[in-house]
Amino acid sequence: MFKKILFATSATEASDHAARVAFNMAGTLKAHLNLFHVLGVPTRGFSQVVFDVKTKKEVSVDDEYISWVEEEVKNYYSNQLADGVVDCSIKASVGFPHREILRQAREIEPDLIILGGTTGSDEDSVYKSSTGSTLQRVAKAAPCPILVVNRSAASFWGGLSNIVFGTDFSKASDKAFDFALKIAMSLNCELHLFHALDISSTHMGMSMSQDEIEQKIREAYRKIRFKYVSRMKDRKNYSMDVWEGIPYVEIVKYSREKHADLIVMAHNSRKLDIDGSKIGSNMEQVIMRAGCPVISVNR
Amino acid sequence: MPEGIFCNKKPIETEEALTALLGDTSGAQYYKEMKSLDVDSKLLWTTIQNTCKSRIRTWLEICAHCGMCADSCFLYLVNDRDPKQVPAYKIQSTLGEIIKRKGNVDNKFMHMAMETAWAKCTCCNRCGMYCPHGIDMGIMFGYLRGLLYQQGFVPWELKIGAGMHRVYRAQMDVSEEEFVETFQWMVEEYEEEYPGLAVPVDVENADIMYTVNAREVKHYPEDLAEAAILFHAAGENWTVPSKGWEQTSLAMFAGDWAACKMQVENVYAAMERLKPKRMVGTECGHAHRATVVEGPYWAGRKDGKPPAESIHYIEWLAEALREGKLKIDPERRIKVPVTLQDSCNYVRNHGLRETAREILSYIVEPGYYREMSPNREHNYCCGGGGGFNGIGLFRPQRNKGLITKRDQILATGAKLVIAPCHNCWDAIRDLEEEFEIGIKWSFLKPLVISMLEIPDHMKPEE
Amino acid sequence: MYEFITGFMFWLALGVCLTGVIVRTILYFRGLQWNLDRVAYKAYPVEGFKGAIRSIYKWILPFGTHGWRKQPFMTVIFFSFHLGAVFVPLFLLAHNLFLKEKLGFSFFSINGGVADFLTWLVVVSTILIILRRIALPEVRIMTNWYDYLIILISVAPFVTGLMARYQVGDYSFWLLAHIISGEILLFAIPFTKLSHVFLFFASRAQLGMDYGIKRGGLKGTKMAW
Ligand code: SF4
Ligand code: SF4
Ligand code: SF4
Repeated sequence: MFKKILFATSATEASDHAARVAFNMAGTLKAHLNLFHVLGVPTRGFSQVVFDVKTKKEVSVDDEYISWVEEEVKNYYSNQLADGVVDCSIKASVGFPHREILRQAREIEPDLIILGGTTGSDEDSVYKSSTGSTLQRVAKAAPCPILVVNRSAASFWGGLSNIVFGTDFSKASDKAFDFALKIAMSLNCELHLFHALDISSTHMGMSMSQDEIEQKIREAYRKIRFKYVSRMKDRKNYSMDVWEGIPYVEIVKYSREKHADLIVMAHNSRKLDIDGSKIGSNMEQVIMRAGCPVISVNR
Repeated sequence: MPEGIFCNKKPIETEEALTALLGDTSGAQYYKEMKSLDVDSKLLWTTIQNTCKSRIRTWLEICAHCGMCADSCFLYLVNDRDPKQVPAYKIQSTLGEIIKRKGNVDNKFMHMAMETAWAKCTCCNRCGMYCPHGIDMGIMFGYLRGLLYQQGFVPWELKIGAGMHRVYRAQMDVSEEEFVETFQWMVEEYEEEYPGLAVPVDVENADIMYTVNAREVKHYPEDLAEAAILFHAAGENWTVPSKGWEQTSLAMFAGDWAACKMQVENVYAAMERLKPKRMVGTECGHAHRATVVEGPYWAGRKDGKPPAESIHYIEWLAEALREGKLKIDPERRIKVPVTLQDSCNYVRNHGLRETAREILSYIVEPGYYREMSPNREHNYCCGGGGGFNGIGLFRPQRNKGLITKRDQILATGAKLVIAPCHNCWDAIRDLEEEFEIGIKWSFLKPLVISMLEIPDHMKPEE
Repeated sequence: MYEFITGFMFWLALGVCLTGVIVRTILYFRGLQWNLDRVAYKAYPVEGFKGAIRSIYKWILPFGTHGWRKQPFMTVIFFSFHLGAVFVPLFLLAHNLFLKEKLGFSFFSINGGVADFLTWLVVVSTILIILRRIALPEVRIMTNWYDYLIILISVAPFVTGLMARYQVGDYSFWLLAHIISGEILLFAIPFTKLSHVFLFFASRAQLGMDYGIKRGGLKGTKMAW
């Protein structure tokens, strides 16, 4: 189902979990894997000086340096590349990570983007002014689903058996559902449809009565049935649940209970996190806490 | 070796030469060659005789050596009042000396002059306001840069920068196609959120022709989207030229006057082709200076004006807010202590001292705005002007130069610095990186968008 | 001797000075080039003129500009010096009598006490100016013998005048010295840094036009000098 995968990697340990998944998927699915590395942000106005996120040095970038970096990326993944099973290309570039990843995505039109971990550079002051993290920004604008792997996921694509689909009933969630269903069908695994009713006071401005909560839960079940179950035709191996709480906490708890191997959800926030607060979006929170990879779909 | 392979008196004219020079990492070989570059004294002297007329000659002659300009220069203040940083001293010991010696100066002298012209002056023109005789050292340094450029004594990045303008008519290697394509991409990315968003390319007789800074295209194209969103929200009839869209001029920093002319004529040609009512440039100071203030003279326009009325982004924004074309949701106004960086290039040098303040009166919650001291046309340079930001060789000097701005900002207690100028924005970003004083900085566009009352025609259907 | 220096030499000095001033002023303005200076002087004569006047006016007011206000000490000694240096030579009674005799006309004369005071002011501020030159590193670094020569040329007439006034020693010697130094001053005005007595106005006018036309003037912003 994926022919072309864009793997945005730091080519460091931070991306190792993601790398395992990326190579595993590309191998299993016979997909082309594009290893993409944004080596740094141009600092210094119009000069050629770039802060290399890997070496943590200011370097002067030219074609030679870029090919050196590409070579480095290749070396870093030499084990995975050795057997020649994975059809792979490598590219390095300079710029703000989210923008360059999106630029590359626009150019090669992948079916999936896998985001590796950062080298903590989101903390660096050069990024601070650009609101929202790389993840948020890529998730917001990506032309295809993005997969984020935060913890180690043993053998990924081969052995998926439980997929959790978290919905907030938005349009983007519908898209995410299509995608989750497609995976569930092609890998023949169980799909768990889940909605978390947000009762955090910040959301509603006041707390709800128990009656209200229960009524909303019933409503959510109805919506799930109407929106999603109806479209699964005769599929039997699914479950659905609605819990109340803080959405990201509930999704994570739920996924643990269902032994999920993958969470699929929509990236729905239109606005970037302007305050740059550490909380981040719902989706980011899920990614941070979930024990399994997360796929975000926005269109 | 009189003329090096990289370091010589010839400007960069071709893509190959440009790539080759770029390939010389950090200009290592370039600067090595510069050590043995000959000075063509005859050329230097004839150039001076042809171009150095009564204004500059008189300035050099009547300077009373009174030192009243010393305190006006931020580089003097920040370098512990080093007398060698007094503006009058800096110019007398370089340009003054060259003229006194009728151009008979040696390689070593030219190195000193190069460092003085690019690392001891940002051409902010502040000293000119403080000299009783009206001697503007900034202008003279600009002139000196031209002489040095002609002799090949110019920092590596600026030789490249000027070359970029010669080859691409842009400060970076962004082609015309790339510009249009990137703009379209950005609009696609945002059109779901802002239905009807479009980028009208090469539309004739539009009310506004928008021009940008190539760095936006290359590194933060969101800026393009933001411009489109605001024009769209304001219901403007606007367009971008597919050719002549670059408003900046590194050639101006380099002193490559011929390249300045080529660059600006490219933009004027777009104006003449598309006949817009007005041109609006992006939030950039030196771009405005190059295309609107100095440009007409490079292009030989006797009335000192571009072919179409040309305004800075803040002028358009202030007008749009004033006339209610853009509406701000008062709830979402800025509620953190905020200050404004006055860019020398359009405040001191183009009189726009109140414009940005008018914008702030709409977008900042009353009571949160803090003035820097000094401010308006008396504001100090951000510390990175005139090309200083981008020159690797003079980085330590530049970092030192940032201290003035750092202290000015700290004194305001502001947490957010609004810098409607690419160069200032860069310098302030760098100063946060260098000194970590815990500030944020921003252009106006993203701030305004974040508090915009989206008109009905732009609301995404849900 | 006295005849010669108050006769021929006087005429020569005055002639050279006035012609020099006129010629150099003309040359200055003819040397302004709109394309090299990048100021469209000719296209906006009115705005240019207004800018020029403002720029001169603000700067001849003591404490009239940010620059003056920033340096109060310098401002005081500067204006003290120039007040005397301009008023005494033109309006001293003795000078006027001399003028009347030579040219047949005279300016109004200031009271003798005031003249004395102004002359002393010149001498005292000169001393302070010299001390400032030596004391402040930012001024010292630029100061060369030429600067001192100019100071010497410009105060010599005042010092010799005072000597003659108080009849220290030989009156006629001091009077002669006074007249000669005055004539040297006249000769020096067009050819040395003393040309600033008229080029100050030219240069200020130029920058005023620059601001009045190009740097904001056409936008309706008056430079806050
Ligand atoms: S203030 Fe003017 S006259 Fe005085 S030293 Fe500086 S440039 Fe020369
Ligand atoms: S133009 Fe600015 S940086 Fe240059 S000498 Fe004058 S005050 Fe200093
Ligand atoms: S970068 Fe900004 S503050 Fe600095 S010289 Fe340029 S306009 Fe002025």
